[in-house]
Amino acid sequence: MIYILLFVVVILALWVISTYNFFVSSKTRVGAAIQEIGNQLKRQAELIPNLEASAKGYLAHEKGIFDELTAARKAISSAVSSGNVNKMADAGKMLSEVLPKIQVVVESNPEIKGSEVVKSLMDELRDTSDKVMYSRRLLIDLTADYNVKRVTFPSKLVAGLFHFEALKGLETPNSGDSLKVSEDEMKTPKVDL
Amino acid sequence: MKNIYEVQSANKWKSAVIVALFVVFVFLAAYILTNAFGYYMGYRPGGLGYFGIALILSGVSSFFSYYFSDKIVLGISGARRASPQEDKLFTQVAENLCIGAGIPKPKLYVIEDTAPNAFATGRDPNHAVICVTSGLLLKLDRTELEGVLAHEISHIRNYDIRLMSVVSVMVGLVALLGDWFLRVRFWGGGRNRDGDSGSLGAVMIVVGIIFAILSPLIAQLIQLAISRRREFTADAGSVGITRQPQGLISALQKISSDTEPLEAANKATAHLYIVNPFKKSSNKVVAAFAGLFNTHPPIPERIKALENMS
Repeated sequence: MIYILLFVVVILALWVISTYNFFVSSKTRVGAAIQEIGNQLKRQAELIPNLEASAKGYLAHEKGIFDELTAARKAISSAVSSGNVNKMADAGKMLSEVLPKIQVVVESNPEIKGSEVVKSLMDELRDTSDKVMYSRRLLIDLTADYNVKRVTFPSKLVAGLFHFEALKGLETPNSGDSLKVSEDEMKTPKVDL
Repeated sequence: MKNIYEVQSANKWKSAVIVALFVVFVFLAAYILTNAFGYYMGYRPGGLGYFGIALILSGVSSFFSYYFSDKIVLGISGARRASPQEDKLFTQVAENLCIGAGIPKPKLYVIEDTAPNAFATGRDPNHAVICVTSGLLLKLDRTELEGVLAHEISHIRNYDIRLMSVVSVMVGLVALLGDWFLRVRFWGGGRNRDGDSGSLGAVMIVVGIIFAILSPLIAQLIQLAISRRREFTADAGSVGITRQPQGLISALQKISSDTEPLEAANKATAHLYIVNPFKKSSNKVVAAFAGLFNTHPPIPERIKALENMS
């Protein structure tokens, strides 16, 4: 009898330890995921001056685009140095809005389209924005796993015992325009080929 | 329609049930065989020695193939290391997905073969290898490649290689025990058969013979069922990383409609690939029976499961 009891206690202790470790290591991994987002954004920002330098000759009349690029780059740098996840996410968005515009210009300009440097730079930029997207996905998944475990039974008991708090992750606005779908967004997008 | 989280947890459960069933079966088979052994040899339940020897033999051989899985498989397939400049798309996509999956970047290899296919191996996420054929890189676009590579990455993340190694240790154990039992039965070597083991002993020996013949086959069938289940799980995991079922669906269609056989694949490495590298019989009955021996679920079923994910 005493052995059975001992066995149950040992199993229970092992479970508590492993659940505790899950929460602690999740927290660390979330921190790492945030750093990763910053890293990738920085990489993206560093690619921009290169793109400008090699494409400026062709795009002398598209000054607006370069202004936007410079603004996006500044926003990224300041967001990364602030370390605030939500600021980082916003800065990344700025750049992802400029990129398609450059793409259009590049596509319509055979001279610049033929330039190997510009092509590979565009490719790098696209790749880096994918990387940013995936590092955000990781952060979202990790925080979701953590938060789900925190509120579901039985891991909830361990979370309560050691006062693990909910992680915020990437904040999405819960009010205002972001919850509505505008008329424009409902329209089927037009694709010109 | 189920969302990806439900699919993933359902897969986890089904997989756990099959694995548990397998473990129970192996222990039952081992228990009966060792007991029958014991009765046959004239001493009462005590075949444990044989069990131990079989476990060690099967364990050692599987441990080597597990520990050096990457080197062995790459050696057999004649793969070359992917270079970041030449295989830019491959390297980029793999890097991105690993960021999303939260695992270190595996070593990337390319097999020069026009048949599109891919596989992953290695003992844990830190020693993982992803290998694709040059045909795959040529024929798939970026989204499709993301689907395929994410499938391989979820194999790595789920420790499928480790699981399948443990499973093959057990299959080897049952096969060895059955084989030995049949050998002593037929070639004699029983020391002492006049012992009064009685009718229980006789029954035990008969059951032992039946088990010796059937259980290696059954164990192997369960092993294949586990392997098929893991493919579904990896498909779901792939969507979990990319959130784009369409990429993997169209990649599977492209790979399966390709008629070229993969020359680098052989029976020993077939179970690793994303799609079975051997083409099947078109006869329906034959195909259904052969389905039991397949390492992979049929493509239409996988596509249907993917389409059901929202």
